[in-house]
Amino acid sequence: MKINVEKLKKIVGENNVSDNVVDLYVYSSDASVHQAMPSVVVKPRTIEDVQKIMGYANNDKIPVVPRGAGSGTSGHSVPIDGGIVMDMKGMNRIIEIRPEDMLCKVEPGVVDDDLNRTLKPYGLFYPPAPASSRIATIGGEIGANASGVRSVKYGATRDYVLGMKVVLANGDLVNLGSNTRVHSSGYQLERLIVGSEGTLGIVVEATMKISPLPKFRCLAVANFKELEDAGNAISDIIASGCQPSLLELMDGIGIVAVNKALDLGLKEVGAIILFEADGNVKEAVDYEIRKIEEICEKHNGTDIEMSYDAKERQRLFGGRKKLFASLSKYKEGIICTDLADDMGVPNSKIAETAKKIHEIAKKHNVIMAVYGHCGSGVIHTKIMLDSKKQSQWDEAARVIEELYDYVHSVGGVTSAEHGIGLSKAPAWKKARKDIIPMMRAIKKALDPNNILNPHKIMDAPDDWVKATNLRYRVIS
Amino acid sequence: MNQKTLVKSDTSTKSKGGKTKAEFKRLKKWEGELNKCIRCGYCYELCPIFKSFNWESDTPRGKLLLLYGIITGEVKPSNDIAEKIFRCFYCENCTDNCSAGVPITEILTDARKDFVDAGFYADGTTAEIEEDLCSACGMCVSVCKEEALSFVEDENGNKKVALDKVKCKGCGLCIATCPSGAISQKQGFGVTPSELESQITRFLKVNDTKIIVFSCNWSTFSGLQLSESPTLINTPYGVIVTMCVGRVTPELVIHALKEGAWGVMVSGCPPEECEHDGNYKARRKILLLKNLLKQFNIEPKRIRMGWFSRGESARLKQAITGFVDDIERLGPIRDLSVISYW
Repeated sequence: MKINVEKLKKIVGENNVSDNVVDLYVYSSDASVHQAMPSVVVKPRTIEDVQKIMGYANNDKIPVVPRGAGSGTSGHSVPIDGGIVMDMKGMNRIIEIRPEDMLCKVEPGVVDDDLNRTLKPYGLFYPPAPASSRIATIGGEIGANASGVRSVKYGATRDYVLGMKVVLANGDLVNLGSNTRVHSSGYQLERLIVGSEGTLGIVVEATMKISPLPKFRCLAVANFKELEDAGNAISDIIASGCQPSLLELMDGIGIVAVNKALDLGLKEVGAIILFEADGNVKEAVDYEIRKIEEICEKHNGTDIEMSYDAKERQRLFGGRKKLFASLSKYKEGIICTDLADDMGVPNSKIAETAKKIHEIAKKHNVIMAVYGHCGSGVIHTKIMLDSKKQSQWDEAARVIEELYDYVHSVGGVTSAEHGIGLSKAPAWKKARKDIIPMMRAIKKALDPNNILNPHKIMDAPDDWVKATNLRYRVIS
Repeated sequence: MNQKTLVKSDTSTKSKGGKTKAEFKRLKKWEGELNKCIRCGYCYELCPIFKSFNWESDTPRGKLLLLYGIITGEVKPSNDIAEKIFRCFYCENCTDNCSAGVPITEILTDARKDFVDAGFYADGTTAEIEEDLCSACGMCVSVCKEEALSFVEDENGNKKVALDKVKCKGCGLCIATCPSGAISQKQGFGVTPSELESQITRFLKVNDTKIIVFSCNWSTFSGLQLSESPTLINTPYGVIVTMCVGRVTPELVIHALKEGAWGVMVSGCPPEECEHDGNYKARRKILLLKNLLKQFNIEPKRIRMGWFSRGESARLKQAITGFVDDIERLGPIRDLSVISYW
């Protein structure tokens, strides 16, 4: 593939293009297990830059992979076919905040936490909040339809996208959606882009709905001797009509890991549940918390601790926030890999799924932590293995197959909030054969030359282990 | 589709000393730790180097990936990689925020040693001595707490000052101290005296800023960044990160006043907490300057110094608000002509 680097430099300026191997190598991976080198990295500054780059790439049929913070867990931004990686972090202006319309307009590189810091003085916030909000960009969140700890009450990114400007594969700029809270004016194309992982167009501006910050937030934590009890408590809380603003599960493996990594001194029980209620009337928040507390106690929850104080809430939540990274500390010689990491299951299947995950892990001799925003059915796992051993990767592949077969059999989804990318594609394709032709038709209509993040989701290879190099050194 | 093969580096891999085969023994012992990095990216949230360049290769996680690549043989060591590795102010924000517990700066230090041993060269954030200008007075040697500067003898037996590039953490105190201007940082990352001056000018011209706050990168700046919006909101003050506060010279403060600032606040680590002892140096200079300003009928209270520990950004913010109130009551400096020739 011949790429005219000079032409790209003319578009975005000398300092915003690199084909130095030092840069190419670091843009070859994200937080997934995959690794593949791009041919060049460009950093557009304006919408016009993106249009010109796409015009050139489309003409010369060069793959283009848009990239935000590079914190994706499924390999969305790994350039499997080489080509151009388009780093969107430089387009990071908050264009406007319109409290009167309860919306904001942002460029795709704006970091989630930065947006929330800016909204705070207005008494507003942007709720989706993935755990990686301190670095995750709005563009990346749209690409993956990200959600997070507050999805149980506030929903996912798709619930906040009102409109967007998108550069298509041929360089054309289109305005999708609206500035209104709802619209019934033709296809909901802005929603089509959400979760498309950069395969249909490049988001260059997004109009996002924002919410008023609640006056009161109360966070509580309950210990459970048995993981199953904790899972059943969560299902019961949701089914009883409670409206927590956060409802998280963390199993015993997770507790041990955060204690080791962060020295938190948490009681090492079978599982803990973190729950939060928010609102503008303290009595209403108290009522929700009391109701959830009662359900926890009914399911043998103990040591319930709660606080309205921001610092104390931060302390209570500290372990969960840093759990993913802490898992590598669980046991010497093993590392935490982002595989089978975010399945979604119906509310009634939380306990059963959590138990099943531990069973499958034990059977295949790997360690898997179970945690996540279980209030919205999101179950996170990570496969912890000895990355140097090929046999461990082979086991991981078997674990994934077995686990997803189970999840799909109970009516769950392959990915609830991280996206399909490369590593989840085989399992997803197996389960969703019915919609693949429709997705391919949409892709072909919008990107006939197949240059936008090619070979992802429905077009990804059938064997995730061999899809790219693994970013770990496998010795035996 | 074919499986992609990673391309190995062939550019600038030949080191300055002509050595082409580096052993990188120290680095190899870190393979297990490097493997633990999950690429979450929390390390770069507060990284001043990443904020200067905005390239993935300037993030701590990017650097760890490059070092992992060297160990596994995926990439060849090169001057380009050395340059990335030598770009670090050791503020430790990356290590503090890595909950996988990877000792990032320790690994970078070992990598620096390996690069030096293998004969690779980089400017990075480290200081540079221009020998023609250096009088070997030794003032820099006495201020360097890292012991990166020392006296050596040249081939003629003359005393000269030598720099250990591995030990230098780029605090810049030697630059602020050198009477002959013989020490510089080739790449300043916004914190060399001239870059700081232009930042001050830009702040005062572009925004409606009345007050300049110099903040030490090691103590409070990281927290301050996390409590403020990076865009949209105009504050009556502008925060300029100086790395060690010992870099704040009287000239810099005067420059701010001449450019239209009504007041200047200098924030550093509390006594005994500064890794570089720059806080004491700044205090001495600022005290002298306040006395001088008094002679010129400029209220000394327009300059304020404060000590703030890591994690005390809320207290710093409160102090800034109080200072802004005091300065707004004072208004602009009545007669700037008295300092115009400084």
